[in-house]
Amino acid sequence: MFVFKIYYGKTNTFFIYHKISYYFCTTKFVFMRNLIRFLKRYSYIFLFIFLEGLSIYIISQNSFYQGSAITSFANEIAGNVNTKIYNITRYFTLGSSNEALVKENARLRSMIESSYVKYQHKTFQYNDTIYKQQFEYIDAKVIQKTINKRNNYFILNKGRIHGVTNNMGVISPNGIVGVVVNVSSNFSLVMSVLHQDSRPNIKNQRTKISGTLIWEGGDYSSGKLVDIPSSIPLKIGDTIITSGFSQDFPEGIMVGKIKNFKKDKGTGFYVVDIKFSVDYNKLEYVYIVKNFFKEEQVELTKDIKNE
Amino acid sequence: MNSQKTLKMNKDIILGFLHFILIAAFQIFVLNGLNIFGYFNPMIYIWFILMLPTNTPKWLGLILSFLMGFTVDIFSGQVGFHAAALTFIGLIRPLFISIFFSGKDIQTNLRPSIAEMSLMTFLPYIVSLVFLHHFVYFTIEIFNFSEFFLTLLRIVCSTIITTLLILICDFFFIPKRKLSH
Repeated sequence: MFVFKIYYGKTNTFFIYHKISYYFCTTKFVFMRNLIRFLKRYSYIFLFIFLEGLSIYIISQNSFYQGSAITSFANEIAGNVNTKIYNITRYFTLGSSNEALVKENARLRSMIESSYVKYQHKTFQYNDTIYKQQFEYIDAKVIQKTINKRNNYFILNKGRIHGVTNNMGVISPNGIVGVVVNVSSNFSLVMSVLHQDSRPNIKNQRTKISGTLIWEGGDYSSGKLVDIPSSIPLKIGDTIITSGFSQDFPEGIMVGKIKNFKKDKGTGFYVVDIKFSVDYNKLEYVYIVKNFFKEEQVELTKDIKNE
Repeated sequence: MNSQKTLKMNKDIILGFLHFILIAAFQIFVLNGLNIFGYFNPMIYIWFILMLPTNTPKWLGLILSFLMGFTVDIFSGQVGFHAAALTFIGLIRPLFISIFFSGKDIQTNLRPSIAEMSLMTFLPYIVSLVFLHHFVYFTIEIFNFSEFFLTLLRIVCSTIITTLLILICDFFFIPKRKLSH
């Protein structure tokens, strides 16, 4: 009986095993069987991937540099893929977004003012009580400029109909800019101080000694002073302002600061390098100076010239 | 025959356990404190994986290499680097065994060492695997290909130092026994 039991059990197990393998060997399950065999054979590869992934995960969690590098790499890939997907999908919403934009355009077009002509212009006046001189300032915007040529010009958005005439001075909140040399009905051309023929009269704020500002090309942030007698000592950092002797600018408009200077032995004058107070590259809003007594002054000096 | 096999397996397990602890301790407490020229850190813990018996199952090799790398990682403060590099070695070690060793060596389930085989068989196996390990390790550690040649120099120098150390340890600590088979 005992022997039989063992025998029976053995047969039974063998039979079951045989049945299972037969079951898997039928053509219906051939794919399944191959898959299982494949997984069994290469299971260590999956184990490797798991362990290696675990290590890299630990690295990315614990080391800042590697972690951020992995994250940024992943972000870059994700970003690229997202951009590509967006580039494809946005065509599908093109119609509706166009419609929305057209409506928006129509609404905005009814609101803007720049399509209308402006007839009122603001002018700013102040009375200079010391010299009894009256200046008027017209605000203007620089719409075109050059700074890197030998002779540089600005174009302003105010012209003859706004009251601008030739030989008016132009200043900015930071200092001297130039002189109007040509006027059309809506625009004006300004010869900037970065020009061969620009020779505004200036003076040293501390010593009151006057001279002439010239520009010899090159760096737009620095100019030169001439005609300053070398008998009176200068200091580096002295402030240079307009003298008010020319009719174009009022007195006291900032020009710049002395960068360095040397004596010209032949002439007895200083050669002074100054740094402009205005950054001509960034220049945007300026004022045109209108001198009401200019004609009177010119009239006075006309006889001298004719002599 | 069967009981002999079991005995050998038990012996392998105990020996492996001992090796694990001794090599890890040597790496952690002696070699990690030692920086040759400030650049080269000898990594003898690879030896543990290299001297596993040739018939070790692949999954066991992988798990052991991960554990070894992780142990060294925990004690050296930069977690994950050694584990990643050594797991890679655990993956490719069977391939290199089949390349460098003869069929007889593989079948007899021996531990790769100078005592068991000629130096000319042992050395290429050690050098190639150590080089690959260092390559992976330094690539992960530096994670930057801008100074590729400097990294390569470090890899080569570290490979030479680690290989020399493994040969020395092998020569002194693995007993030469008389080959019966």
